[in-house]
Amino acid sequence: MIRIVALDKLDPGDVAFLTRTLYQAFGLGTEFAGDRPMPREAETRDGRVDAMRLLAEVQPVRTFADDKVLYITSAPLALKPGPLGEPPCWGFAEYGGEKAVITTARLPARGVSEASIEVFRRRLGREAIHAVGHLWDLHHCYDAKCAMHPSWSPALPADPEMDLDTFCREKSERRIRLAKT
Amino acid sequence: MRGPPGRHPEEPKEQLPAVEGIITDASELEPGDRVVYPNQGVCEVVGVQELEIAGVKHPMVRVRREEDGSTVMVAVNKIPAVGLRRVASKDQIEGVFHYLAAQFDDPELDWKVRHRDNADRLMAGGVLGVAEVVKGLHSLSRIRPLPTKEREQYDNARHLLVHEVAVSLAVPPGLAEDYIDYALMPPAGVKFDLKPPPRPVQLPSRPRRRPIAAQGEGDEIGLDDLGLPELSELGLAGEEKSEGETEGAEEKPAEGQEAGAEEEEAAPAPRAKKAGEPKAKPREAKKQPGAKGKAARHAGRPPKKKEKKPAARKAARPARKRGKK
Repeated sequence: MIRIVALDKLDPGDVAFLTRTLYQAFGLGTEFAGDRPMPREAETRDGRVDAMRLLAEVQPVRTFADDKVLYITSAPLALKPGPLGEPPCWGFAEYGGEKAVITTARLPARGVSEASIEVFRRRLGREAIHAVGHLWDLHHCYDAKCAMHPSWSPALPADPEMDLDTFCREKSERRIRLAKT
Repeated sequence: MRGPPGRHPEEPKEQLPAVEGIITDASELEPGDRVVYPNQGVCEVVGVQELEIAGVKHPMVRVRREEDGSTVMVAVNKIPAVGLRRVASKDQIEGVFHYLAAQFDDPELDWKVRHRDNADRLMAGGVLGVAEVVKGLHSLSRIRPLPTKEREQYDNARHLLVHEVAVSLAVPPGLAEDYIDYALMPPAGVKFDLKPPPRPVQLPSRPRRRPIAAQGEGDEIGLDDLGLPELSELGLAGEEKSEGETEGAEEKPAEGQEAGAEEEEAAPAPRAKKAGEPKAKPREAKKQPGAKGKAARHAGRPPKKKEKKPAARKAARPARKRGKK
């Protein structure tokens, strides 16, 4: 089961689109599990939110074995800098774990027109699949058409696909099959 | 200490420079140490214990894979051969990142060589060897999609690298992967101040392929001594030979051979032949007794028997008689 939790206000239409997209991508039941407040401890001095801290401090959601929780926030996320600097953060997931967070701050503006909303939703769906894919032990993929391709890659098209490629899909299916309780 | 095992016991093992951090003596290990088992990932040393195998007691080092908790037992005297090594230091990891972010020269295009070299790198190349596999296959994937085997190898190598980087930098694996891909696929407009990358992993030299014996191969393996009949005698001559000789028959339009060939063609549709052809040609074939058999042999089949024809005629005769009546 995939549970979606909003840390900020989320449009019901977007939530419905997201649940449908995640269900189609992983074949798992997906539901909206409500709202949670943003943990103050995770906020940094530059106005961003530390993604790792957020996942550690956020109020828990009631889950069962093999459940995955996806938090969605509109605040920009930050990561700890690495040897070559800080990678741009579109989301963060506990690899093979239970919790992941994505931000809508880097997505194209939602706007009011149908076309802009569609573009926003598609990108939101892609980032959600990407984050939940990490929860199911998927690594980044070199294929720019796959949802597991890094979100900052210059090879990524303006309106990227919301699907997993064959290898990632089969791997996730295998993991889900093995993990089913 | 490193390198593939010799093919024969007397063959000396190739000596290559040891990977940094490799463990050569079991006494270096203490419970709680984190080590890297090649191709398995980061493990934690549980302790040394004796295991009785076939009545002999062997001291074994027990290590536990951190990823799934499975236990691996390594014989103490096999530790140098296995390639157990310490988790990469921060300096090593920094070198790996500078290598990942550097421009890559042409990837190896021969898949057999590439696959073998990558397997060697994963086994005995240390963290830099794993990074080389990831970068090499990633570069290749930009040219063309990877075949299934290499896609799996790429994923395994990435998995090993992510976990070792995560352990070395004390960050979660998800973040370690972001660091790796930030170096591999930097966003547009980002440039790194790179240091010269570390020296590439030295791979063991491999013997060259033996040239394929084109002629006299059968003589070498002693097929003649077995006393087997020739293929032509068995009627199993190859198609090439028969084709070549039928071509020869076309060049020399000898009457008998032509007749034989025509009869072969006519065999599936005898009625049509009877209607169109006079009976003279079969007679010509009879004049050269070897011709028909030869042609049939050339076609790779034994000569056809004419036993069915009289039977068919017998069956046809009463009908004619009835018709006459």
